[in-house]
Amino acid sequence: MLILVSCKKSFLDVPPQGQPSPSLDPQVALDEVTAAYSALISPDPTGASAFGGYDIHGVFFITVTNIISDDADKGSYDLDQPPAKDIDNFTLTSDNTYISGLWRGHYAGISRTNNAINALAAAALDSNTVKIRTAEMRFIRGYLYFNLVRMFGGVPLVLRVPTGPRDSDSLFYYRASVSDVYNKAIIPDLQYAVNNLPLRTQTDLGRATKGAAETLLAKAYLYLKNWQQAYNLTQDVINSGQYQLLADYSQLWRQAGDNSIESIFEVETGIYGGADNGIPEYCEMQGPRQDNGMGIPTTPWYNPAAWNPTNDGGWGFDTPTQDLVNSYDSGDVRKAATIIDLPPSGPPDTLYDGFVVPTMVGIQAYYNYKAWHSERRNNQIEVFYGDRSRKQKNIHLLRYAETLLINAEAANELGNSGAATADLNAVRSRANLGPTTAVSQDDLRNAIWKERRVELAMEHDRFWDLVRQGRAAQVMQASGKTNFAAGKNELLPIPSSEIALSGGKLTQNPGY
Amino acid sequence: MKKKLAIGNPHSCAIKKVLLVMKLSFLLVLAGSLQVSANVSGQTAITIKADNTEIVKILSNIEKQGSYRFLYNSRLKSLQQRVSIDVSNEDIKDVLNKLFGTTDLTYKLLENNLVVVTSKELASQDIKVTGKVTNENGEGLSGVSITVQGAVGGTSTDNNGNFSLTVSEKGTLIISYIGYQTQTVAVNGQSVINIKMLQSSRALDEVVVVGYGTQRKIDVTGATGSVKGTELVKQPVMTATQAIQGKVAGVQIISSGQPGSSPQVRIRGTGSILAGADPLYVVDGIITDDISNINTADITSVDVLKDASSTAIYGARAANGVILITTRQGSGKMKVNYTGTLGIRQAANLVKMANSTEYLAYEKAALGPPINPTGYSTDWYNEILRTAFYQNHNISVSGGSDKNKYLLSLSYMTDEGIVIDNNFNRITARLNDEFIVSSIFKIGVYASYSNGVGQNVPLGIIFPDAYRAAPVIPGMVDGKYGNTSQFQNVGNPILDAKRTDDKSIDNRLQGTGYAELKPVPWLTLRTSFGDELDYSEDRQYTYMLPNDTTVFTTNGGSQGPTLSNLAITTGKFYHWTWDNTISYNQTFNKHHITALVGTTSEKYYSSSISASRPNVPPNPNLWYLQNGDQNLQYNSSSANEYTRNSYIGRIFYSYEEKYLLTVTYRADGSSVFPEQNRWGYFPSIGAGWVINKEGFMSRQNIFSYLKLRAGWGRVGNSNIPSDAAVPTLLQNQPYFFNGGVVSGSFVPQIKDQNIKWETSDETDIGLEFTTLKGRLSGEIDVYDKKTNDALILVRVPGTFGSQANPNSSITPGYVLTNAASIENKGLEISLRWNDNINDKISYHVGGNITFNNNNVIGLNGGSPYFDGNINGYFVTETTNGHPIGSYFVRKVIGVFQSKDEVNAYVDKNGNLLQPGAQAGDLKYQFNDNGKLDTAFAGSYQPVAYYGINLGASYKNFDISIDLYGNFGNKVYNGKRQARVVVTDNIEESMAVNRWTPQNHSQTEPEANGGNLPASTYFVASGNFFRINNVTIGYNLPPKILQKQKVITSLRVFVTSQNPLTIKSYSGFTSELPGTTPTNAGIELSTYPTTKTFAVGISLGL
Repeated sequence: MLILVSCKKSFLDVPPQGQPSPSLDPQVALDEVTAAYSALISPDPTGASAFGGYDIHGVFFITVTNIISDDADKGSYDLDQPPAKDIDNFTLTSDNTYISGLWRGHYAGISRTNNAINALAAAALDSNTVKIRTAEMRFIRGYLYFNLVRMFGGVPLVLRVPTGPRDSDSLFYYRASVSDVYNKAIIPDLQYAVNNLPLRTQTDLGRATKGAAETLLAKAYLYLKNWQQAYNLTQDVINSGQYQLLADYSQLWRQAGDNSIESIFEVETGIYGGADNGIPEYCEMQGPRQDNGMGIPTTPWYNPAAWNPTNDGGWGFDTPTQDLVNSYDSGDVRKAATIIDLPPSGPPDTLYDGFVVPTMVGIQAYYNYKAWHSERRNNQIEVFYGDRSRKQKNIHLLRYAETLLINAEAANELGNSGAATADLNAVRSRANLGPTTAVSQDDLRNAIWKERRVELAMEHDRFWDLVRQGRAAQVMQASGKTNFAAGKNELLPIPSSEIALSGGKLTQNPGY
Repeated sequence: MKKKLAIGNPHSCAIKKVLLVMKLSFLLVLAGSLQVSANVSGQTAITIKADNTEIVKILSNIEKQGSYRFLYNSRLKSLQQRVSIDVSNEDIKDVLNKLFGTTDLTYKLLENNLVVVTSKELASQDIKVTGKVTNENGEGLSGVSITVQGAVGGTSTDNNGNFSLTVSEKGTLIISYIGYQTQTVAVNGQSVINIKMLQSSRALDEVVVVGYGTQRKIDVTGATGSVKGTELVKQPVMTATQAIQGKVAGVQIISSGQPGSSPQVRIRGTGSILAGADPLYVVDGIITDDISNINTADITSVDVLKDASSTAIYGARAANGVILITTRQGSGKMKVNYTGTLGIRQAANLVKMANSTEYLAYEKAALGPPINPTGYSTDWYNEILRTAFYQNHNISVSGGSDKNKYLLSLSYMTDEGIVIDNNFNRITARLNDEFIVSSIFKIGVYASYSNGVGQNVPLGIIFPDAYRAAPVIPGMVDGKYGNTSQFQNVGNPILDAKRTDDKSIDNRLQGTGYAELKPVPWLTLRTSFGDELDYSEDRQYTYMLPNDTTVFTTNGGSQGPTLSNLAITTGKFYHWTWDNTISYNQTFNKHHITALVGTTSEKYYSSSISASRPNVPPNPNLWYLQNGDQNLQYNSSSANEYTRNSYIGRIFYSYEEKYLLTVTYRADGSSVFPEQNRWGYFPSIGAGWVINKEGFMSRQNIFSYLKLRAGWGRVGNSNIPSDAAVPTLLQNQPYFFNGGVVSGSFVPQIKDQNIKWETSDETDIGLEFTTLKGRLSGEIDVYDKKTNDALILVRVPGTFGSQANPNSSITPGYVLTNAASIENKGLEISLRWNDNINDKISYHVGGNITFNNNNVIGLNGGSPYFDGNINGYFVTETTNGHPIGSYFVRKVIGVFQSKDEVNAYVDKNGNLLQPGAQAGDLKYQFNDNGKLDTAFAGSYQPVAYYGINLGASYKNFDISIDLYGNFGNKVYNGKRQARVVVTDNIEESMAVNRWTPQNHSQTEPEANGGNLPASTYFVASGNFFRINNVTIGYNLPPKILQKQKVITSLRVFVTSQNPLTIKSYSGFTSELPGTTPTNAGIELSTYPTTKTFAVGISLGL
């Protein structure tokens, strides 16, 4: 009988096949760190769709950073993607699917960092490795909370792994205040990262570095108007000697500019599983669209002399506005590097790789050049294995030009106009522009803000910058976005589905 | 480490178990033999004294003295006679002579001091009896069973209905045959006995399969249904379940016309939200999930166990009912049978799409700028559909003697799809063989092999593309494809089918071997080991297609992958079931008891490997991975494993065949649950009262049969993924450091580590009757089934960070947990009338209807489950007080007729409710707070479904008509809502009937760009009624056949499956199974229902 009992137990004791359980294996802890980075490419492990409901840097992110701002329009044709149209026009409501996708995507990423931090603490790894990898995780977590606080204001502060699906801890259900998000998550996480991360040259390309943590923390302090901290941190980055401006601005967002001397932190992409592994739909969404969904082209528009192009660059979203185009001073090399300029009646626009943008009745006159990734396969210019939806486009989240501009802005606010002017002119000089003519603190501030706009155009910064600067309503309304309601549209609504799931404990932002 | 050892050692455990069971079996056999052959010690004198005591007790007292054992039939009345006796030290013979003196009893003294006591009446002389058994038309019936009352053995009739048997001249023959009334005939010294069988009105004498055994239908206390194999084989369908549609009350079959697909079966409503609502299939004792490998012609009967009192013997897997398939067994003289069917198949109903003119007019209204006409007007359905060919051939050899019963069958089926390039072929072979080694021991095997080869096309892409593709694009011109995608994001549907060469092969071997020992007539020991072995391979080659004028009529688009690709997936599984049962069957006077105890163990293991490489040359003989690009190779493997261990018990008791009681109990342990919740216990009780056997009924002649029965049972559902309760790491999460790739892993899902069985309690009350001189019979059941601790996905807040896991079936952001109760209440009525108008014409009319009311009643956690996502809008909500998968959508109250009406549509504060709306847009209902009203709009689950079965025969002709329908449900026209691009085509009715300034429609909106939110605009009635099957057959008369010796029977028939459907829904079909109960009823890329016309022949040699 005893035999029977013990047998019964082992016969029915069948672990799931092919899926390891989390264990104390040190390699698992390191794998969880990698997976947290991987969330920056896509927090949806299937990576299947941009519209799958989980997003950090994909279509939804592009929409709430670029399209929402005065730098870009939704693009495509009017009826395509109503949630994006609602965000663009500030007619969005709390059940907008893009918003819930960003909420879920960011918390999915945070969950990966929390799990990795747990695993690192328990793993039998040397303490230095644990410290550095933990700092990397806290850098990513700090970054994700920084995005969340900019999108939603105060959000639930999840800094640990839930015990199970019924974990009733209020931290999963209630919003923390904006200052708590900064003071209990972003600043401690990034400060820990600053204290423990190595310099860029001392670690693998692609990992978070001390310089990245300092720049990001400085940026957070900029939002908090803590000028001294922002200045000190960026000064430290400048003094580290690790970074320089890349001479050719147009190379920054091409594959040739990946991990350049100017790069401080970027989302790395590459090839995996026999296929391109980039941010789902990032390039395809923003690629020039060959048709307007209205008619059948009657003549071939491709250039027969070139390789056989596919003639269709993508879906034509996130198109630069005339306002952005106009904001470049003449001679600014950044304009041509940022914007595919396609006059409706003009000649074919040939891109750097030889791709000829169709000139038929286009939906839009402008496209985002920074999102272009070459598909040219013979005589390869950029690595492309045929999956247009997962093109290997690195997202350049932090680069040295921004460090200089943060330093400039902080210096200016601290009354150090000399340092501010020097930083600004360094950035302008690379853009083939002369020194700034601004002298007064106010003029200099406006000059720096304007420089941020053109330097970082289409790089997911403009809208939050305007909100930070307290002039979102003014600029938005001036740009024709008359639906923008001051005191409301600076933040996105908390997703209604999440409010329902919290049992009403999550409160809605004003006005929604 | 300890734990690892335990896990790694299941084989040795299995062996130990085998040994243990063998030991137990041996002991029982031994115990059984002891009864009949007690130790012997030669002649022993007997001393006994008894006064006015029953003979049987005196015999028992003699037995107690230890020397003699008596064997007798306890039904012998004389044994109850009271006698007095007083003997001392007398020989046994003298004692027995005295004892039996005044009775009709006699005895025979065998070796080993075994005494057989019989009645003198029976001890009369044996004679040889011959005869012929015929049907009502005087034709010989083959395979009729003839047994002798109170005796072992018997015979069956040969092909011509003849039999011969040696029997006591005073014996009684029992003649029984499925579908006919059992007759008893006293021999009375006759040497020739011819019997004419009468068709059984309600097949009460029929034996039905009840799980781990059989039972007479009259004795069954639970709700069951049965369909005979002959009903199935006439229908040109692949799977038996499709052929039982409309034939059993309480069983809802929703079939798809797709070749090789299995229909969805719901028994008594949808009892589970997520743990699977499909019934359990048991094929000759083998538990399986799908029966598409079983040749319908091999099936003798399909028995359906519906209520929990009858399904509880299958415990943890029985919550959705059990379908028992019994395959044929041979008997009598060797017979060869051939049945062949040839036919054609077409789409039963298509949706008419707008032609170019209508399309251009619609687009002009939707877009503004006109699209130029092209001169083409393509009907895309016409381009991708075809008339398909169907054939099915079966040949079988069967026969049997008292030593061996056998059936060997082969079948070949071609089922072309109605979509171009889509085919399915199946070969099956079966050997059922039973060896009667001795009168107490037999062994046998049921073995089947099936080989299915499918040429697959991506139906899930072709159908939506055909629906969306603009008619102004040509299908093909001069060998080049019309470029649908340069115009919109739609692939050319023809190219969809041609672009990929996808061939799948499935080989399945299913077999059970069994041994049965009957040491004494009342005890049966049986062990059976069944195994299913499956090997499948899928080879998919995608051609490289440049998006230029070498392939397309115009350049551009992104339809063709610019690299060719070869993907190969191989999968295999095994699933064994080992049953050991002991059954006991004894009658004491008016008491009849059968009992069963047993164990069953089960193990399932599946694994698959898939690999792919691009840039493989297009030549099929080079479709091997090594010919592709090594740098872009991909491979992966996965597996699934679970085990079960169960103990079963059942007792059936009847008194005077009038009062019936069945009690069952099953304990199930399953590996998919965490250790603390692993075991589930499933009891049931059923009682029956055969009222017509009561004395007070003897004076009436209204009911020849009347039975009332009631049952209660508890069953479980363990049909959840093996990883449902265990947190697991998801691998292959890449990141790129130093330009190289590193693969990470993480825990994507939060799991409920305390998950347990879903249990259902069901009460059933039924009434069975036969009346009007056997012409009308019927069965009425009411049931109430409540599923507790139903496994449901509960959505967790986003802050928990639960994510998608491609290895798991759990929806991202959800946790599978026990958090709901579901109720199914229903009423089933079946009636059947059969009669003969004269001896040439007979007919029958049968009908059944099932009313079922499904409700979610105890959803806790306040987290309704949304499903049926179309363009980001969830179409269904599963929540308290509503059926599973109810549509929960915006309510459309009309169409705005003017901009003034839009401006007048304001909330109480005067704010516009639909500010962006234009005349011709749909008008949605808002509530008092100015918020959009989202309301429940019915569900896919019908109020009732019904079947009608008609049949008649005239001389050698026969006709049968089967009808099926349902009413009271809704379907959702998801494909209309899935219109995402303004240039997608529209249905003709939408184009023609749309609102225009001239046509003030209140139901069809103005031309629009699609992307409409989920609303009642897309909800339609799901009522339908169809002719399921019409068959007309002709049997060649015996007179003609008698002129030659070769052919013994010949039947020709014409049949049509699904020739006519009447429905109000405008889509392809109202039968929309969906993939889960929560997304059923939504038409997106549904395969159109097909209609088949076929001719067939059935030949007996």
